[in-house]
Amino acid sequence: MKITINGMEIIAQESITILEAAKQAGIYIPTLCHVRGKNADNPCGLCVVEVEGSETPVRSCDTNVQEGMCISTDSEAMKKLRSERLAILAETHFGDCKAPCNLTCPGQINVQGYIAHVAKGQYEEALRLVMERNPFPFSVGRVCPRFCETKCRRVLVEEPIAINHLKRFVADWCMANKIDLRIPKDLATGKKVAVIGGGPAGLTGAYFLSRKGHEVTVYEAAPKLGGMLRYGFPEFKIPKAVLDYEINTLLQLGIIVQTGQKWGVDYTLQDLKDSGFDAILIAIGNPVDKLLEIPGGSLSGVMGSSEFLKKITTGEDADYGKRAVVLGGNNIAVESARALVRSGVDEVTIIYPRPKEEMPAHERNVKDAESEGVKFLDMASPVEIGAVDSGLDIELIRMELGEPDKRGKRNPVEISGSNMHLQVDTVVYSMGKMASKDGFAGGSLEECLELTPAGNIKSNPRNFLTNLEGIYAAGDATSGPRSVIQAVVGARRSAENIHVQIMGVEKEAGEGRFNFSRGKSFNDVVPETFTGISSAHRGQMPERQPESSILDFEEVKLGFNEEMARKEAERCLSCGCTAFDRCDLKRLSIDNDINLNKTGMGKKPLYEKDASHPAITVDLNKCIFCQRCMNSCAYDALELSASGFDEKGRAEGISLLFNGKCVSCGKCVDNCSTGALNKKEQIVPMVNEVIEEVRTTCPYCGTGCQLELKVKGNTLMEVTANPDQLPNYGDLCVKGRFGHSFLSHPDRLTTPLVRRQKGGDLEPVSWNEALDFVVDKFRDVLADKGPDALAGLSSARCTTEENYVFQKFFRLQIGTNNIDHCARY
Amino acid sequence: MTGLVTVLGSGAMSNDIAGIADIDAMLVIGSNTTETHPVIGLRMLQAAKKHGTQIIVADPRRIKLADQARLWLSQKPGTDAALINGLCHVIIRDNLVDQDFVKERTENFEVFAKAVVECTPEWAEKITGVPAADIEKAAKIYGSAERAAIYYTMGITQHTSGTDNVKCLANLALMTGNLGKPGTGLNPLRGQNNVQGASDMACAPVFLPGYQRVDNDEARLRFEKLWGGPLPAKPGLAATEMTQAMIDGSIDAMWIMGENPVMSDPNSNHARKAFESVKFLVVQDIFLSETAELADVVLPAAAYAEKEGTFTNTERRVQRVRQALLPPKGACDDLSIIQAISDRMDPDREITWASDFQPGSDRMDVSKAEEVFNEVASVWPAIAGINYKRLEGDGIQWPCPAEDHPGTPVLFENGFPRGLATFTPVTWRAPEELTDDEYPFILTTGRVLYQYHTGTMTRRSQVLENADRGPVVEMNPEDAERLKIKDGEQVNVASRRGTITLPVFVTDRISPGVTFIPFHYREAAANLLTNDALDPDCKIPEAKVCAVKVEKKE
Repeated sequence: MKITINGMEIIAQESITILEAAKQAGIYIPTLCHVRGKNADNPCGLCVVEVEGSETPVRSCDTNVQEGMCISTDSEAMKKLRSERLAILAETHFGDCKAPCNLTCPGQINVQGYIAHVAKGQYEEALRLVMERNPFPFSVGRVCPRFCETKCRRVLVEEPIAINHLKRFVADWCMANKIDLRIPKDLATGKKVAVIGGGPAGLTGAYFLSRKGHEVTVYEAAPKLGGMLRYGFPEFKIPKAVLDYEINTLLQLGIIVQTGQKWGVDYTLQDLKDSGFDAILIAIGNPVDKLLEIPGGSLSGVMGSSEFLKKITTGEDADYGKRAVVLGGNNIAVESARALVRSGVDEVTIIYPRPKEEMPAHERNVKDAESEGVKFLDMASPVEIGAVDSGLDIELIRMELGEPDKRGKRNPVEISGSNMHLQVDTVVYSMGKMASKDGFAGGSLEECLELTPAGNIKSNPRNFLTNLEGIYAAGDATSGPRSVIQAVVGARRSAENIHVQIMGVEKEAGEGRFNFSRGKSFNDVVPETFTGISSAHRGQMPERQPESSILDFEEVKLGFNEEMARKEAERCLSCGCTAFDRCDLKRLSIDNDINLNKTGMGKKPLYEKDASHPAITVDLNKCIFCQRCMNSCAYDALELSASGFDEKGRAEGISLLFNGKCVSCGKCVDNCSTGALNKKEQIVPMVNEVIEEVRTTCPYCGTGCQLELKVKGNTLMEVTANPDQLPNYGDLCVKGRFGHSFLSHPDRLTTPLVRRQKGGDLEPVSWNEALDFVVDKFRDVLADKGPDALAGLSSARCTTEENYVFQKFFRLQIGTNNIDHCARY
Repeated sequence: MTGLVTVLGSGAMSNDIAGIADIDAMLVIGSNTTETHPVIGLRMLQAAKKHGTQIIVADPRRIKLADQARLWLSQKPGTDAALINGLCHVIIRDNLVDQDFVKERTENFEVFAKAVVECTPEWAEKITGVPAADIEKAAKIYGSAERAAIYYTMGITQHTSGTDNVKCLANLALMTGNLGKPGTGLNPLRGQNNVQGASDMACAPVFLPGYQRVDNDEARLRFEKLWGGPLPAKPGLAATEMTQAMIDGSIDAMWIMGENPVMSDPNSNHARKAFESVKFLVVQDIFLSETAELADVVLPAAAYAEKEGTFTNTERRVQRVRQALLPPKGACDDLSIIQAISDRMDPDREITWASDFQPGSDRMDVSKAEEVFNEVASVWPAIAGINYKRLEGDGIQWPCPAEDHPGTPVLFENGFPRGLATFTPVTWRAPEELTDDEYPFILTTGRVLYQYHTGTMTRRSQVLENADRGPVVEMNPEDAERLKIKDGEQVNVASRRGTITLPVFVTDRISPGVTFIPFHYREAAANLLTNDALDPDCKIPEAKVCAVKVEKKE
């Protein structure tokens, strides 16, 4: 029959619903409760459409098409009805879409995800997940300011998860176990990109551009790659061996490296353009110290922190005397002071004009420095440095906090007459850094490159373009000194923009801000959210004692061992929803512009989580009573009920039970419209990375069910089935949906084994050795007794192709029909 | 398979899965479908509910499917042929034979009819323990249905009379004209993902790819031409015969790809002895299986999700297997391993093979598998019309002789490959090992939903282990009471070949005098008990019946 939907005339089958007719015609009508062939007792009300001649909207799921029907699915009125209905559901939906740690991480790293991998012992997967967004897990795992940990909800139970220690653990574990991450790379695009600067930003840009298939050349002025990670962080923060390993991992992608090449001296931007680069990324960091602008600021023995730390990190022989001061309160100042302590200086003092508590350096670093004997003189500012016989004389003036300014900030002011003098041998200042003091030289393009007033490169925050075409900038070079993770993020995003531009492709839409939350701040989280969680204190990082650690430059923090890491990861409260990638409530709310700030969300838990099912966990706080679980169950195994409905039609007192008919096939989970039902093993939320879906054939019985394998990196995240695909039409058994974790089981064989003598042990050997051994033995038997002394047993689990080649080998090359498989009967 | 090839000329499931929805009557015999083929089992339950399909379950255990069945026939293990002959007798007696079909498409009916004259329901009751009245009822349901289908698995075949049992079922389907039409058929359900493909490819001692016998000169000459070399004409040894040949020293080198016979073969002590005695054993697998532990060389293989290729399902549907993951570093897809060994065995190709074989970093090249598939398509006309490009859709059921051929959901619509299908008179023979005073119980074995085969994969998948109850021996409450054994108590189950210890599961789903043990568990391996006596035709072992004793563990 002919009907019209949204002005489009279509031919529909007789006696099907409007919803089905629309689906067949490729027109999408939103619904939260519909499953093939069944409607909910308590319809979600989203599939409403207007039918010409009908005064009120009708539900498309239970209205059959009629000849000549004229239907409108997306009028403003319908959209409004849907939005109203969704807003009502949103008001009481209680849960977190993304975990607070994930939301807070500037790198948008799937924090909960990698913690979950650690908890399962999947360290390689954890590292791969981190490296989807951050190629510097070793370094960042050692020096990150840990934005994530400040928002960790575990603090409401006792203490936050030691997230960064876990990141470092997985990186170190993979290094210790010589894991080859085999980072995937797209096919070569034929495009070339030059990156100026081989520090964290430059290498991050190179890493992501290489993964996209571009040929990347990194130009680095220093003899070695690493930038600030190598020349700014002393060995006790980032050991050079670790850094070398980390950088080598990235270089395995095929990044071309030109070290000892100084921009503006050895080459210019124009040179790069002329040699055919499709884009240039400037990521030179902040190599220039802001000068100490007081008299005597350039005396011998007075130096900027960059100069000082370079001497330290390159092992340059230098005598810093017995007493030293460090001017400044940032992290670099603190690291400089700790390096001075290790360089034979007896007395090291950090001088800072404001109260010590207000130092920008992280509290952890300040504490470490203090325990190593670094002194602090706060509320003091340098006035002048003079050369004296014994060394340097530094004049200071004490400060006090002045009246609050307009923003309420109290700035320090000098206390007149409070001048004092210190006799020192070395002064290191860390007053801030910049990309360039007076602009760049070398060529006309360099001269045109626009800078910010603070001496950094001006780049568009949206696309990272500088004022010059095809030339991008990212990292500290544009922002001034920031944390490593922030440089990584900037460089990653610049790489995405470069890719978009040189390939002429659409930019991927950024992630929306839509997010259900159980409480945006700690105060918003009701206490009963975490009742029943038994206290488990944060694992302490093993570290060396200050008395011995100051005697050398070896690493101070020793890292978690496997047991500690597992234990720590198990503390994670797994706030974020593991249905993030499949939640229809979220998807439809976003599609219909639901504003959670206006609607509000569920504020407290009404149901306890239930993990008694062997394969499924139930969190009814997220249930919207769409009944899809029950209606999709082919075994009548789900008993879902509500004690009543509130004034807005929402179910109350929901109860869900799996009865004895349940065969754990898991179809209910795949049909859940929210995260109320979850797969027990699927504890890594799939948030923002690319998920590859691969259709394949089930390896178990002979039914040949078609599976959809959801893969991230090299990890199988979950297995589902397409309801439209024969022969199983979305049905799977418990093995088909849940029986795949053997793939990543530690028992997997990974090296050939040979038993050289009967009665001896199986020993690992190379493939060549094993193959040669097999061939020699086969040849011996052949020569000795003829072809019928050999036999082959093939497998009904191997592919048809493998079976064909196997029997052909025995028949044609060996010359025997002694070939069988165990299940041919 | 041998049975089917003999009487019909083709050894595969005749009908398709989708057709289950339209079946009027269904005999499910020796198949615990809801546990071993859960999605097919589900289709059967749905057919019963929506189409009103009348299901007849014939199984020594009251399996779950029996709860939805019109009739449950509880034959004693090893008496299937007697039961089926009884059904055939009633169908002839009550004039339910499809005379036109028998006349036009079959031969040898008269001889067969004569052979079942004596097989009255009363006679069958004495042997099988199934009441004569139920046999009458079953015959009536199956014989008078418009579309009736038979489903069976290892419960029919894993007997010394396995081939005979299949022939009996063929008689039943032929006499009622239930072949060559949708919603009917003779349907062996394949227990493993690619039994069909492995069989099609002739990983079997008497066939060349496409079911052509090795001792058929014409067929062999054709392959000699295609493959460019001489081929042996003498049929090889069947897997079960290889076991003995390894012990007596006539086989010196054995290469096993992806099998674990030490666990899966009946009388596994005997199998173990064979694999221990063979001079040189190569095992290629994803885990160090019980068999691999005995090997001289173990080669680490890639799993299904780590390689490209095809599986052919139970309804003859060729479907793609696609690589989703890299194998663990160092493991390699089986195809590349076989080719590496093949290259090295070939003195003429020494220059072409990579002397530095280091698998595992890159994705498998699809074209490598595709090339092999295309070669198969060129040697076996039944899949000549299939290629990887066409398989991007739904998969295709063979025969598919040409690229514009849609594939064949239902076999024999236009005749049988051997011309006329033949009836075979079958005389019931008792199982090889009978119960006696010392071993008073019949033991039958099988699978459970949560495990698969020898458990190498499922037992390493946490959810399955959580959901599974583990090894148990099922026993009827009457027997348990007599032996004073309570549910959950540990017992020793012993046969003439071995003893295992496991808890007892008391259930009235199993008949008195019969016990059941799933064979998946290393810690209580049922195949230590089972009998390796062989069917004389196809050499299948009698894993489904043996005699045991059960004693409370002291």
